[in-house]
Amino acid sequence: MDDKVFEINSVSRLFGHVAVVDDLTLALGKGEVVGFLGTNGAGKTTTIKMLIGLLRPTSGTIRLFGGDPLDASTRRRIGYMPEIAYYYPFLNVRELLAFYGGICGMEKKLVRSRTDELLEEVGLVDAAKRPLKEYSKGMLQRAGIAQALLSDPDLLILDEPFTGLDPLARIHFRNLLKKLRDKGKSIFFSSHELGETELLCDNIAIMKKGRCIYQGPVKRLAGDGGGNLERLFLDVLEKGGAA
Amino acid sequence: MKCVLRRIGALVKLSLLELWRRNDMFALLVLALVLLVPLSLAKPFGAVGATRYFDEAALLLVWGYSLFISLGIGGRLFTSEFSNRTIYPLLAKPVSRGELILGKYLGAVVAGWSALLFFYALWVASAALRGGDWQPLCFFQAFVLHALFVALATAAALCGSFVLTPSASTTLLAVLLPAMFFFGRRLPEYAQNVSGIARVLVSVSYWTFPHVEFFDMRQRLVHGWGNVDAWVFLAVVGYGTAYVVALLALAHVLFKRKRL
Repeated sequence: MDDKVFEINSVSRLFGHVAVVDDLTLALGKGEVVGFLGTNGAGKTTTIKMLIGLLRPTSGTIRLFGGDPLDASTRRRIGYMPEIAYYYPFLNVRELLAFYGGICGMEKKLVRSRTDELLEEVGLVDAAKRPLKEYSKGMLQRAGIAQALLSDPDLLILDEPFTGLDPLARIHFRNLLKKLRDKGKSIFFSSHELGETELLCDNIAIMKKGRCIYQGPVKRLAGDGGGNLERLFLDVLEKGGAA
Repeated sequence: MKCVLRRIGALVKLSLLELWRRNDMFALLVLALVLLVPLSLAKPFGAVGATRYFDEAALLLVWGYSLFISLGIGGRLFTSEFSNRTIYPLLAKPVSRGELILGKYLGAVVAGWSALLFFYALWVASAALRGGDWQPLCFFQAFVLHALFVALATAAALCGSFVLTPSASTTLLAVLLPAMFFFGRRLPEYAQNVSGIARVLVSVSYWTFPHVEFFDMRQRLVHGWGNVDAWVFLAVVGYGTAYVVALLALAHVLFKRKRL
């Protein structure tokens, strides 16, 4: 367990009689970057919600840093960015980060220094005093990244992080994630962006109708010759079985 | 403990900032000034005694405003978090749902109390201008009990927002609380005049819903009847506090059960 950041064991989640996640087993090691792929409604977001303690599994267990994600103190070491969030429109990004810093129980001085670093990192220095209601979707996404990184988490969980980013911001964000990976941070993200996934991930997991149909290295799926991930992703989905 | 206080402090500050930066709060304050000041300063036909009824009407308006503010603030505390989806990153932080409810609730109550203090200060200033009687203890009791009403109405609105839509919850409470305010003490009499299921319903309402009329000291304040005994005052404070605690506990249970 020591080298595992999280372990999902035979987890199912039912909504009524529908199994949105069905007998999922998945793990993430320290410093690993895993892309979580699948079509819309495959169960990716539900899995992420269970991982961060927003939802309780119907059956099975989830261990996050050896603890229960439903326990607030376990979540101290994670940073999460949702797919879409319209952060408090009446705040500016500095106030937003000060608020989340308070929620994480961080010292004001530390929050201030982290805010300066992160605004530089995500390219929001010039817009720091503007209220968030004036932000574009891409800028909100960058504010979301900043709040996820604020407490310098060991595990970053990102739900569709590339959505709404323009090509330049996308490259910038990819480089940021690479830097975090090099620092030994673990990253788990869901995405429809197969190109980005291929560039960033060590391993991928593919979901279909609540079941995980592939888990393994990107290279194994794409082929050592560097095959096209998109084509192979479609192949795996069509076969619907383990590769 | 320090971290818990920091988290609650951050939530209180967020609630206050939200209310401060919303224009509807200013609109309400301006409206209060426009209506309250003329009412409090009026001397109809030069008859000093008649001004007491204007004072009472002015205080009734303050009660109306405080109900409006409490329901508006309390009902919006979590609905905006859900509609803007900010609840997800918030709950992914090391904060418990209980802390979230407590922090946001305290922020809303502090905002409601600030508005109430402003209204009362205005009322006292106008009463002082007319040279009316000044009974500090009675005023203190009236303010504390009114503040308790604000806390109770905010907790009820917060609780209602987890089971109903914001508008449905606000409408229901905007009918229920004034109904209890005006008719609550007469419910046993009504119960005597009806039979069967209606009698059961009226009796259950009498024993279940909060008797907000207990918090109303307008007439004592306006007519100079003086303060109530300390034990009565403390009993009403205890009664209101018990309702607030029960409503917050219920809100916590509903929040935990809410599908996200």
